[in-house]
Amino acid sequence: MQSNYRSKYNTHLIRIIIILVALAVVGLGVRAMMVPKDFGKYGHYRAGAIQDEMDREIRNGTNASCLPCHPYIKEMHFSGVHKTVSCEFCHGPVADHIKDDQVIAKLPKKQGQKIKTLCLRCHNQIIRARPKESIKMIAMPQHLEDKKVRLDHTCDQCHNVHAPLMWVKQARAMMGVIEEETKQ
Amino acid sequence: MKDIQAEISKDRRAFIKKVLGGTIAGSLLLVIPAGAMDIPEQIAGMLEEDGPFIIKKKFAFIVDITRCIGCGSCCVADKNEYNVPDGNYRTWVERYVIDVDDNVYVDSPSGGLEGYQVPREDVAQDTIRDTFFVPKLCNMCEKPSCVQVCPVGATYQTEDGFVLIDQKRCVACSYCVQACPYSVRFINPVTKTADKCTWCYHRVRKGLLPACVNVCPVKARLFGDLNDKESEVYKILHQPHVISVLKPGMGNEPSLHYVGLRREVV
Repeated sequence: MQSNYRSKYNTHLIRIIIILVALAVVGLGVRAMMVPKDFGKYGHYRAGAIQDEMDREIRNGTNASCLPCHPYIKEMHFSGVHKTVSCEFCHGPVADHIKDDQVIAKLPKKQGQKIKTLCLRCHNQIIRARPKESIKMIAMPQHLEDKKVRLDHTCDQCHNVHAPLMWVKQARAMMGVIEEETKQ
Repeated sequence: MKDIQAEISKDRRAFIKKVLGGTIAGSLLLVIPAGAMDIPEQIAGMLEEDGPFIIKKKFAFIVDITRCIGCGSCCVADKNEYNVPDGNYRTWVERYVIDVDDNVYVDSPSGGLEGYQVPREDVAQDTIRDTFFVPKLCNMCEKPSCVQVCPVGATYQTEDGFVLIDQKRCVACSYCVQACPYSVRFINPVTKTADKCTWCYHRVRKGLLPACVNVCPVKARLFGDLNDKESEVYKILHQPHVISVLKPGMGNEPSLHYVGLRREVV
């Protein structure tokens, strides 16, 4: 009874099946083209991406990349209280200076008021968030007034930036001044 | 005559010694692998790790808030290392100011890149109870939300725990930027992809410390191997300190730990 109603024509089914198969073939083809070969080797990502990230250029070196060529600075810097300050913080990354063992450019030197700004990044007393025991805090311009120097003096006129107390100590030794050591 | 003969033969010996010495030294230079430039390793044993993943080490990052002086050298190093476009920050330093009425003020002018030169003007100096700095960077979650939401598999977690971005696959849809509970991600306007701190994966793989850890003058940032019981990070994480992670309730289980983390920050 039921079978009488069944259509003898099934072209509509064939058409749908052909379209679906064609779509699947195209889809799989596109997928094979778009998804990289090494995708999914370790997880849901491209395995080669790890190597890409590893191959990123190292632009900052370490102090060891600077010191072999600057032995005098090395001696001075590491004898002073600034020994924990990295070369590249103030001078810039080694990659801007050396490429393939050749000097390609000089790193800019901070001068004038820029030196003062640089020093006060760490030593500004008015920013009251700094553990006193770890670094010395300076209030500006009171410090200049206390030392009886002009207010437009920059820090590096009295302090060697690499060994901040070197000149101060030398001057005191020359003048025979011993006090003030424990002050402040 | 005999003296001269002796002199020559002595010289010959010296000459041969020098030539031999030079040859050996020269050949040694060829044998020694050209690693990360010619700088000695800061993390011992990293050059032996030549597989796709770091097997022997489990890295952790510790930020010590009680030490940070807010100088911003980490931010400077970071910008130099990655040429981060202006206005975007892979790492930054926040300043917290708490007044006597327990109001908390947080700011981070240019991400701390210029350091902190001036005090906050909107808080009277005599009402400030406490001030401190909090460096922020990628938390390298053990269960990263950013990886979960990435529709193209561009953000992934390596088996050694680093969460990285495939710059070639990223389509900059910003899902990960929204998903990150710590707001460490941004869309890099130059590469037009998502970007974030990688704990300097490329440096670490070559045995160097992350750039920010390397420059920190007060050791507020520490990076080390938890499998090494002698390492500083192992000791700190196994001591009775106040150690915490940011937003522990999010369940991301960060590998970035803070020493002296304050209630106001968490």
